[in-house]
Amino acid sequence: MEHKRITVFLAIIWGVVAILPLFFGSTNFIMHILIMCLIWSVVASCWDLIMGFAGIFSFGQVAFFVIGSYSSAIISARLGVPPVFSVFIAGIFTAGLGVLVGLPCLKLKGAYIALVTFAVHMILEPVLKGDIGRALGTGGARGILTIAPMNIFGYTFTSSDPIPYFYLLFLVAVVCSVIILMVIKSHWGTAFLALKDAEEFASCLGVSAFKYKLMVFALTSFLTGMIGGFYAHYVGMLSTRMLGIDLFVTLMIILVIGGVGKFPGAVIGAFITIAVNEMLSPLGSYRPIILGGLVVVLVLALPDGITGLFEKMFSEKKQGLSH
Amino acid sequence: MKKTLAAMLIIMCAFLINGNAFGSDTIKVGVPLSMTGPYTDTGDNYWKGIKMAIDEINEGGGLLGKKIEPVRFDAQEFAPERVMQGADYLCGKLKVDSVHAGWAGWGQDVRAYGKYTAPFFADDGSQTAVDVYKQDKKQYNNIFQLTDTGINQGQSMFNVLMALPYEYPNKKAVIITADDAWGTEVGDTLKKNFKEKGWKVAMHELVPYGTNQWGPLLTKIRKIKPAIIHVEIVSAQEVITFFRQFMKKPTNSILSYGYSLVPREVVDTMGKEADGLIGEVPTAMPTPEAPTPEAQAWLDKFKGIWTHLPQAGSWAAYSGVKAWVTAVEAVGDEKKHEEVCNYIATKGYKGETGWWKWDEDHVMRAGGDVPIAHYQVQNGEMIAIFTDPPAKPYKNYKFQVPRWIKK
Amino acid sequence: MFIEIIDVIISGLINGSVYALMAVGLTLIYGVSKAFNFAYGSFYSMGGYIAFLLFGISFFNNYLIVFCLAAPVLLIFGFFIEKLLVAPLRKRDDWEVKVMMITLGLALFLDNSYQVVFGARMKSLPSILEGSFEMGEFILSYQDVVIFIFSLGGILIFRWFLNNTRTGMSVRAVAQNPAGAQIVGIPKEFVFAATFAISTVMVGMGGILLAQKYFITPAGGWDILVKAWVITAFGGMGSIKGGLYAAFIVGMLEAFVGWYFGMTWTLIALFAVLLTTLAVRPQGLMGKWG
Repeated sequence: MEHKRITVFLAIIWGVVAILPLFFGSTNFIMHILIMCLIWSVVASCWDLIMGFAGIFSFGQVAFFVIGSYSSAIISARLGVPPVFSVFIAGIFTAGLGVLVGLPCLKLKGAYIALVTFAVHMILEPVLKGDIGRALGTGGARGILTIAPMNIFGYTFTSSDPIPYFYLLFLVAVVCSVIILMVIKSHWGTAFLALKDAEEFASCLGVSAFKYKLMVFALTSFLTGMIGGFYAHYVGMLSTRMLGIDLFVTLMIILVIGGVGKFPGAVIGAFITIAVNEMLSPLGSYRPIILGGLVVVLVLALPDGITGLFEKMFSEKKQGLSH
Repeated sequence: MKKTLAAMLIIMCAFLINGNAFGSDTIKVGVPLSMTGPYTDTGDNYWKGIKMAIDEINEGGGLLGKKIEPVRFDAQEFAPERVMQGADYLCGKLKVDSVHAGWAGWGQDVRAYGKYTAPFFADDGSQTAVDVYKQDKKQYNNIFQLTDTGINQGQSMFNVLMALPYEYPNKKAVIITADDAWGTEVGDTLKKNFKEKGWKVAMHELVPYGTNQWGPLLTKIRKIKPAIIHVEIVSAQEVITFFRQFMKKPTNSILSYGYSLVPREVVDTMGKEADGLIGEVPTAMPTPEAPTPEAQAWLDKFKGIWTHLPQAGSWAAYSGVKAWVTAVEAVGDEKKHEEVCNYIATKGYKGETGWWKWDEDHVMRAGGDVPIAHYQVQNGEMIAIFTDPPAKPYKNYKFQVPRWIKK
Repeated sequence: MFIEIIDVIISGLINGSVYALMAVGLTLIYGVSKAFNFAYGSFYSMGGYIAFLLFGISFFNNYLIVFCLAAPVLLIFGFFIEKLLVAPLRKRDDWEVKVMMITLGLALFLDNSYQVVFGARMKSLPSILEGSFEMGEFILSYQDVVIFIFSLGGILIFRWFLNNTRTGMSVRAVAQNPAGAQIVGIPKEFVFAATFAISTVMVGMGGILLAQKYFITPAGGWDILVKAWVITAFGGMGSIKGGLYAAFIVGMLEAFVGWYFGMTWTLIALFAVLLTTLAVRPQGLMGKWG
C-alpha cells in the first residue's frame, strides 16, 4: 500500500475506535475487551514490523510483553517509581534484552531465529517461577498480586472505571502506530524492503543489515515492553499464565486476519480477532477448533488478510474509474 | 472500503449488544470454569456438581418460583485479564446473582469478583487467595472458599502420614512437587513439619509439568532410601510415569501422592497396579461408603447421572450451589446480595454429611462434618482410610502396607 | 557414585533415542522443502489416538497390526495435508511465514478436535513388552529396550532408504538443488508431498511407540514439537546425522543436569547450550545434508 493510503486508513481506524466508548461506555465488560484490543494491537503491530517488514522470524513477542509487564510492576513496587515512568523504564529494559536476543539472531536464518526467540519465551517461565525470579520479586509461581494503578498528575486510572484508561491507552496506541508508520515510511522501511528482497545486493549498496535489524529489535521490544507495563498497571495482577500457548496463538491469528506486512492490518486484526474470539466463547471447546479452522481457511483464501482484501477492492475500483 | 468497514462494525456491535436482552423470570448464575486448555478436566468435574445441583432445584420447582439458568464462561488458562473479563461479563454485564467457580485464579479471582456483590464460590485451596481476602474483608465479603488452604492440607497430609499404623524404618523423607503455587505451598508445609519432628528432608525437588523421565531423580532416591516419598504434581501423566519407573526397583518407602492421587486417570489407568498409593481429597465425600445415608443417596444419584464416582471438586461445587440456594430462600430475594452473603457467612448450610460453616476468613476449614479424606488405593479403587482433622481411621477401612515394602 | 553415573547414562541414552526419533521427521521436511511444520506435534498425538482407536477394536489388538494399519493412514493424511495446505502457498514470496501460520492453525484445530472427540483426559495404550532385564544393580525395562531399538532401527532404515532407493535419491536431489532436480526430470512437487507424508508417518509411529510409555493427551504434542525443534536446530536443520548426535547429546545433558542440579534447570541448560552452539556455528552441528 502507498504510504499516503496507509495514513488515511490508519486515521479512519483510530477515528472509529475513538468513538466506540460512546456506544459501549456503560458496559465495563466490553470496555475491558476494547482496552485489551488496544494492547494487543500494539503488540501485534510490533510483531508485524519485525516479522512482516523486517523479515525476521522473531517469536519472542509474548516474552518481551511479559518481561515488560513484570519489570514495570517490580520497578514501581521495589524502587517506588511512579507507574508513568516505570513503564518507560520497563520499555528501555526490555529493549536492552531485545538487543541482547537480537545479537545472536542476526547471524541466523529463518526457523533458527524463530527458535532462539521462542527459546526466550520457553525459558522465561522457569526463570520467573524459580529462585532467580523470586529474588527479583516476581512472586514465584504465585505471581504478583498487587500492582499500583497508573497515576498521572494525581489522577488514578483504575480498572473499575475503564473509560479514562481506554483513552489513555488509545493515546499510547496511536502514538505507537504513528512511530511504526514513520519507521515504515522512513529510510528504515526502504532498507528493510531492500534487505528482504535481496539481502546481498542491498548490503553491496551499503545498506547495513546488522544495524537495521538490531534497531528494529530494539524498537519493537521497547514498544512491546512498554505496553506490557501498561497492561500490568491496568490488570493489577501478573502471573506466568500469560506464557501459555493461548496468547501466542491469538497474536498469530491477529496477524493472519490483519495481513502480515500489511500495516495497519495488525490493528484491524486485533479488533476483529478479539471480537470473534468473544463471540465464539459461548461455544466452549468448539471455539479453538473454529478458530484453528478459520486460520487455515484464511491463509489459503485471503493470504494478505483483510488489508489485502481492501487493497484489492480499492485497486479494482480505481481501475473501474479509469475505464 | 469505508462502507465495508462500517458494515463490519455494525455487525460487531450488534453481536456485542445482543447479549444484553434477557428475561426476568429466571435467576442467572455465572459458572466461570476452564472449558479449553490444560485445566479442562478439573473444570468438567466442577461443572458436573454444579449442573446436578441446578437441575435438582429446577426439577423441584425452582428457586423462589423461578428457574435457575447457568451461564458458562470459559476461564481458559486463568490469565489475569481473562479472570477479570469473566467477572466483568458475568457480574458486570449479565448481573448474575451468584457465581460458582472451581479453581479460579488463586487470588486474582478474589480481586476480580470482589469488585461486585454477587456471592462468589471458589475452590482455590490457596493461602494467597485468603491473604488477598484479608486485605479488605468488607470489600471481599461476597467471596467464599469451598476448601481449606494448601498449607492446611499439607499439614493434614503430614498428620495422617504420622498417624499411619506403620513403623518407619528411618526418618528420611523426599519431597517432589510441581513448580506451581499449589505444589510449593504443600511442599513447604511438609518440609517444615518433617523438620520439626526430627526428620531429615533428604531431597526437596521442584519439577516442571511435562516431566516424564524420572531416571536421574530415582537414582538419587535409591541412594537415599527414604521412608516417605511425597509427590505433589496434579497431573496423571507425571505421577503414573513416576510410579512405574519407581517400581522398576522400589525402595522401602511409603508413596504419598497428596492431591495428585485425584486425577481419575491415575486409578483408571493403573487399576490394581496402583494399590498401596496414598493421597487426600479436601472437602470430600469419602468413598466407597459415604458417612451418612443422605450422603450415600447423593453418591448413588451422582453415579446414576454421570456413570462414575464423583471426583475432587464435584461435591464441593454442588454444595456451594446448595448453600447459596438455602441462603436465598431464607432471605427471600436473590437480589439482596449482601444479606445473602451475610446469611451464608453466619448461618452456614446443612449438607449431606452435616454442617458447612465458613470461618471469619470465609474459608470452609477442614474438620467437623466436612473433613479432609485420606485415601489408599486398594484393589484398584480409592478407599478412604482416614479423615482429618482430627486424624482418625475412617469406618472399618484399614491401611495396608504397600506390596513393594519388604520386611 | 559409579553405579549412579551408569544409571544416569542409561536414562540419557533412552531419552536420546526417543528424541532422535522425534527430530528426524522435522529435520527431513525442513531439509527438503524449507517448510517449518508447526502441526508436527499434533501428528505425533494423531499416531497415539489412531492406535488408541485400533486397540478399542479387539480384532486389531496387536502392535504389529496397529503399526501396519496406522502407517498408510498417516501416509495418506500427510500427503493430502501437504497438497491441500502447503503446496498452494509455495508460489508466494513470503510462503515460509505463511506455512508456519497455516500449520499453527492446523495444530490448534487438530489438538482441540482430539479434546472434543476423545475428551480432555489422557489415554493409555497397553505396554508393548512387560518385564525388565536385571543385571546386578542395573535394571532396564524391556519397554525402554524396545523404544531404543525401534528408534535407532527406524532411523537406520530411513537412512538406507535415502541413500539407496530411487525415491530416496530424488528426495536428496531436491534437497540439494530444487531447480536442478526439476531440470533432470524429478517431479519436485511430488517429492515435497512425499517427504511431508514420510515425516508424518515417522512422527506418528513415534507417537504410538511413546504413547505406551508416556500416554496420549490432546495437547501433548507441543512438548514434542519444541524438543524436536531444539534438536533439529542444534544438529543442523536438514541433517539427519546431526539430528541423531544432537538427540543423544540433549538426552545426556538433560539426564546429567537433572541429576546434578535439579529438574527445573534442564530447560535453561538446554537453551544455554543451544545458544552457545548457534553462536559459534549458526548452521548447527552439521548444517548440511547427510
